[in-house]
Amino acid sequence: MSHEPFETLAAVYAVGALDGDDLAQFEAHLPTCAVCQATLREAQDALARAMLSTPPQAPPAGAREALVRRVGRARGADRRSWLRWAAATAVVAAAAAGFTGTWVAVRYEARLGQMARETAAVKERLARNEASLREQAALYRGAVELLRDPATRVVDLRARGPAPAAGGRMIWNDVGGGHLFVAGLPPTPAGKTYALWTIVAGRPRPAGLFGVDAAGRGILRIAPASAGAAARVFVVTVEPEGGVPAPTGPIVLASK
Amino acid sequence: MPTPGGELIRAMAAGNRDAFAQLYDRYAALVLAFVLRIVRERADAVEVLQDVFWEAWRGAAAYDPSRGTPEAWIITRARTRAIDRVRPVRRRGETFVAATAGPPPPPGGDAVMRAEDRQLVAGALAQLSEAQREVIELAYYSGLTQTEIAERLEQPLGTVKTRIRLALARLREVVTSP
Repeated sequence: MSHEPFETLAAVYAVGALDGDDLAQFEAHLPTCAVCQATLREAQDALARAMLSTPPQAPPAGAREALVRRVGRARGADRRSWLRWAAATAVVAAAAAGFTGTWVAVRYEARLGQMARETAAVKERLARNEASLREQAALYRGAVELLRDPATRVVDLRARGPAPAAGGRMIWNDVGGGHLFVAGLPPTPAGKTYALWTIVAGRPRPAGLFGVDAAGRGILRIAPASAGAAARVFVVTVEPEGGVPAPTGPIVLASK
Repeated sequence: MPTPGGELIRAMAAGNRDAFAQLYDRYAALVLAFVLRIVRERADAVEVLQDVFWEAWRGAAAYDPSRGTPEAWIITRARTRAIDRVRPVRRRGETFVAATAGPPPPPGGDAVMRAEDRQLVAGALAQLSEAQREVIELAYYSGLTQTEIAERLEQPLGTVKTRIRLALARLREVVTSP
């Protein structure tokens, strides 16, 4: 490959716009090429001078004071300055040994910054997923706990209405409350939700609202207090979102 | 005659706080003007400015004059920090481009607007052609990559690269001419 393309890459690199294969190729080439190092240096210098040719904007005095104070604190006594000087000399000497240029460093810093941002986004997503998984695990664990109790009953709910393939199963414990698992239910129309009712002494009592996922599955945890003890009959209806005190919509599932 | 910037940085590396104050006094207002072209909020720009000089203090020992001028050392850092500030999430094209130089003036647009536009153009960049200045601003101020610039301008990638190269060549002429 002739060297000419690298001169273009060097210019694009200097303005921080190189990407993809070009970037990889140029960064592999740069440490080995004095011409490109010089081109880059000159380009960066020209850019800096151009950028500094704008009318100045005086920063607030407070900014200077804060910095000078910070610098003072960071230094502590000057007794360690010779150490710093020695370190500086050593760094310069070490740097002369090989070109790992400031530009490459700054470039990587920029990339690190970008990666940090991406990592933060991924972390946030993971945290959300984790929270929802935990919730789900807690739900299943609750159901398993209930099943261990000999007093727990499992009640089948059968389809009654427009979705004959739908079905449900209630794991019910008079003391511990219950878990409802449903499958095959169509998504509710906008503004509607599924509502579970327990029938106690012939009267429906609201036991919670739930939705279903794209596959028609849904889970509802019923707290013991909200259900009323000794519930034997369970009914699922379609109700307005937000719930109603007594069933108004069509029954879709019911225990026998 | 003022102390050359490189010597100031060397002195900073040895812990000299006066050198730091001198470097700040020499460049802070210019760096702030530059940062303000990327970070539009003044308060944010001042924070970036402070970060840049703090890093200059901390990183003074790593400055190597053979790799570049003090100005380039500072500006490169300032650009990186400024772009980081305005692009907290990597959606550069979306979050940021809208805040930059605005839509390019219509070709042959009316003279008044073009004159105003030119006044807004910083120093040496004003010496570039519209097309050259545009690619430099999209890359250097907006942080777009060559591919993103090509998409945005609906130009072939090769054209964008060449334009950047020519723009930089012209910029060199401008800043080195007496």
